[in-house]
Amino acid sequence: MPLKFRLITGRTIEQGRSMEAEGKFSDGYRKAVALAEMNPKDVEILGIRNNAKIVSVYGSVVVGVKPNSDVPPGLVFIPMGPWANVLTLPATEGTGMPTLKNIDVHVEPTSEDPTPLSAILELYGVEKISHRPTERPLAIGSRRVVNDVPCPFCGEVCDFLTVELEGEKITRILNACPIGHAKIMNYHKHRVLTPMIKHEVNGDFIEVDLEQALNRAAEILATAKYPLIYGLSNTCVEAIELAVELAEITRGVIDNTTTLCHGPTVMAVQEVGAVKITLGMAMNLADTMVFWGCNPMSAHINHIRRVVIPEGKFVKGRKERKIIVVDVRRSETAKLADIFIQVEPGKDYELFTALRMALRDYDIEAPNVAGVPREKIYELVDIMRTARFGVIFFGMGLTQGGAKHKNLEEVIKLVQELNEWSKWTLLPMRGHYNVTGSNHAMLWLTGYPYGVEFSRGFPKMIPGVTTTIDLLMNSEVDAALIIASDPVAHFPQKAVENLMKLPKIVIDPFWSLTAGVADVLIPSGVTGIECEGTVYRLDDVALKVKKLVDPPKDVLCDTDILSRLISKVKKLKRLA
Amino acid sequence: MVDIIIKNGFVIDPLNNVKGELMDVGIRNEKIVDPSEVRDPGSIVIDAGGRLVLAGGIDIHSHIAGPKVNIGRLMRPEDHYLTNIPSKLPFRRAMTGRTVPNVFAIGYKYALMGYTLVAEPACTPLKMRHAHDELNAIPIIDKMVFVLVDSNWLALDLMSEKQKDMLKTYLAWLLYSTKAYALKLVDPGSDAAWMMGRPSLDLNDQVPGYNLTPRDIIQLTGEANEALNLPHSIHVHCNRLGFPGNYITTLNTMKLGKDFALRNRNSIHITHVQFTGYGGDSWATLESGGEAIANELNVNPYVTLDLGQVTFGEATTMTADAPFEFVLYHLTRWKWASADVENETASGIVPYRYRKRSYVNTVQWAIGLEVLLLSKDLWRVFITTDHPNAGVFTDYPKIYAWIMSRRYREETLKEVNQSALRRCVLPSIDRELTLYELAIITRSAPAKLLGLEKEKGHLGIGASADIAIYDIDPRAVDLSRDYERILKTFSRAWCVIKGGEIVVKDGEIVQTIYGRTYSVDPYTAIPDDLRREFEVYLKDRFRQYYTVSLNNFIIRGHEIKKLNEIRLKSWK
Repeated sequence: MPLKFRLITGRTIEQGRSMEAEGKFSDGYRKAVALAEMNPKDVEILGIRNNAKIVSVYGSVVVGVKPNSDVPPGLVFIPMGPWANVLTLPATEGTGMPTLKNIDVHVEPTSEDPTPLSAILELYGVEKISHRPTERPLAIGSRRVVNDVPCPFCGEVCDFLTVELEGEKITRILNACPIGHAKIMNYHKHRVLTPMIKHEVNGDFIEVDLEQALNRAAEILATAKYPLIYGLSNTCVEAIELAVELAEITRGVIDNTTTLCHGPTVMAVQEVGAVKITLGMAMNLADTMVFWGCNPMSAHINHIRRVVIPEGKFVKGRKERKIIVVDVRRSETAKLADIFIQVEPGKDYELFTALRMALRDYDIEAPNVAGVPREKIYELVDIMRTARFGVIFFGMGLTQGGAKHKNLEEVIKLVQELNEWSKWTLLPMRGHYNVTGSNHAMLWLTGYPYGVEFSRGFPKMIPGVTTTIDLLMNSEVDAALIIASDPVAHFPQKAVENLMKLPKIVIDPFWSLTAGVADVLIPSGVTGIECEGTVYRLDDVALKVKKLVDPPKDVLCDTDILSRLISKVKKLKRLA
Repeated sequence: MVDIIIKNGFVIDPLNNVKGELMDVGIRNEKIVDPSEVRDPGSIVIDAGGRLVLAGGIDIHSHIAGPKVNIGRLMRPEDHYLTNIPSKLPFRRAMTGRTVPNVFAIGYKYALMGYTLVAEPACTPLKMRHAHDELNAIPIIDKMVFVLVDSNWLALDLMSEKQKDMLKTYLAWLLYSTKAYALKLVDPGSDAAWMMGRPSLDLNDQVPGYNLTPRDIIQLTGEANEALNLPHSIHVHCNRLGFPGNYITTLNTMKLGKDFALRNRNSIHITHVQFTGYGGDSWATLESGGEAIANELNVNPYVTLDLGQVTFGEATTMTADAPFEFVLYHLTRWKWASADVENETASGIVPYRYRKRSYVNTVQWAIGLEVLLLSKDLWRVFITTDHPNAGVFTDYPKIYAWIMSRRYREETLKEVNQSALRRCVLPSIDRELTLYELAIITRSAPAKLLGLEKEKGHLGIGASADIAIYDIDPRAVDLSRDYERILKTFSRAWCVIKGGEIVVKDGEIVQTIYGRTYSVDPYTAIPDDLRREFEVYLKDRFRQYYTVSLNNFIIRGHEIKKLNEIRLKSWK
């Protein structure tokens, strides 16, 4: 009988870097994500030499194994991607969020090679995937230096990058983290440059002009009864506003990637509120920082040098700050911490409850809560209530598993109650550079932040019903428009399987796995490099990302593509 | 754009001294022209048939856009569930929400009431781009936004260093670089305290970390405002808002206006005075300070006020007064959101419901009406609900009815908490406003207060063609007796013209267009050498306090859909 483990998925630097620099079809990406990190003792007990077969109720996959003593025994960590998603659970339990962490799996040693991407896609029901990456031609010109460039990668939107160009070729980038650097430096690679339509019989891509592609896309959307518009976190607010209009016109659903990241956080805010700050508040005032279920050293790399290390108005740098990390494994961030608290996977809710009890001076009867000794909990609460200014940064560790939105309700309530003792705040570490903006734009247009549907002509959000994974699992939508996102790489297997059955329009600058299976593929300019637009930082600060170079010839920005698509759909629906 | 002529309108236009005459109004290219100029046979003719014709309404204080409003939407899904109005494409988009409506509901519902210009009264500089994103998305109405300055470290530094010229320059730069219209002070200095976990301040308390009091902050900002010759005065939400006994602080704040007045006009606007008009020393002994405030207003020409009138029902309180929201959260114990912004300010949001049977809510309701009905100069008092804090803007017709009909007031007086009424003078007030007076407080006076009386708030030649026609012939109805008619008429205009285009017909939205955003630029007028000195200073401080680059902080003109930036010339 193979041993039982718990699977955790998440971002790593190498996953992000290889995806941005080499693309998801590359060997580098496969090596970065077809990989399980396990405790060396577990590796030894199981007798794993190189590879292991990992099995969940939804499927099995063979990946390479990397012993890592930072992973506690009994845990398997696989970076987010198609390999991990063979195993993840699509059930959202009414929250819209599939279970991407704390999944029961079995692990056994194997001499088989790691599962190739093609086999995984076959499993997903992909009949044919095409991949014709092109490098965009770069006109070489005079040397330019652009300062204060906001980075279009993660929610930090670091706006202090300096980019040097020779014509359209980027030659040097200063101040970016490795992932941001990889994205900007390689913006010309793995590009979709020509619109394509999939041949109905043989499934090959046929290159067409933009007009044809838009006509086909408009036809699909106008005839669909309940189309899904998804993605939108890697584009600007102006494009998101148009996408909402398109959903309203087609009486479909619009959802953004929040549904798979901080959706549960948003649901908790709907119930209890929030106590938020901007990054500069932490930098200037915070003497205590907690990182809970997030790993900025791998996902928001510049966060440390922006907020933790610098000297602020009232706190003289790192030496005057206490750093506490709470995580299931000793992450890269945990290595910087003054205090590391290892919580049992999926037990954060229990730990928050214990902290709230301790804050009210209730006795905790159990000697251990969520794997943390009772004394440690009392100690932590003392640190919290005597802090001058505290902030809890939190991430997917709280949203993608365990009690999901209930975790977040507890942490928000904890912080609200802490304010009776001291000054405490919290901030979600949002992933994509404009996922926050997509929430905001949808809020002001529809009153809801994600998962909004228009079937009866007005906006409505019901988590677990109008959220993408549920809509796909229940086969409720009949067409999909994917804008700047890669659900094939990041949705659980069953959801991808159902997505495959729909006609798919994909608007993307790059060859993602989803682009490879599109029925209509429309290339777009890269927002923040080729297209200007407004984006919202993870702390709700809006910034204008820059256009450094022109988009490639005949390639439009998302806003132009969507405007044209809207006027075509309007015409077909006789609304013009 | 097709010319329009409105025939046989019963026109009331206080700025032009028209007190109700049957007249024609001509419209060409977004402006009002002499009706004899509209002769083209292709022109649209609207026969008003004796209906009431007014300039478009102006709301000087309503939270319609920006980070607070959006967090309100986020944390109040229950506000949207039962308020859906499906789209009617291509004419009208879908509407949802009551206290925190979506942008379409805001624009359409204001237009349906005949309002064509609304001021968002508070946004923090760093999140101003967000406010403009939302203002850009609000259809039909013209709009503007005020910028928060009272707890701003950069400003406080300059104040405590007594660098008055640099302070003026900084405030001018802030208005220019955020495309804002006026300077807003909210519970002056208190957010600076809140950000450090300290309690809120009264007028003479010391701001933590600075050798300043809220009084100094108001005084210095007021001086700068007048020296910069800004079209609006400073817009002040008083200290101690929401606490019993606070009317004393309000009276003292009102008196400050005289000290920095430079121009022949009011120099301080006290906003939503209801929330700062409480007598008594606890919630149990709360009483109205409305009469005292009205008396001060009547003798102090430097002050203007708006009401923040309670209208009963659901509300979402949202304010940059973060410490007060924390207190309110403990009174309501439901949801609380707060957001602190580096260097600048903080804010809080708490849902609330005003009940007629509540003692406190009844006193609050009475205060607003007392202030208005006891004011002698209606050019200096304005109707607001501080939407959505004391009530929703769609309740304005109720306020009209309360002030125009004693009979309607009496109906409501029967329903509210009777023991509260013993602490209020409202039951003894007989005054009823006329339609002409209503036109003053909702059209002419707001235009003047915002310094826009040349183009807004009237129907004279050259004014913007923003016009509301209401389905009522004032010669045939006695509104004082027939208050139902007030409620009905002003909830849905018969016809509304915005910027020369018909947007409402028979009480329905007929097209979605977008209005202008008004902003001021006092910065360009500042002498070069002072600007150079300031920019060097700013660069250094900005890098210390902020996590964004100075360049990316500045909002450029092209980011705003239809910008109407007023470049000021004089500098004192």
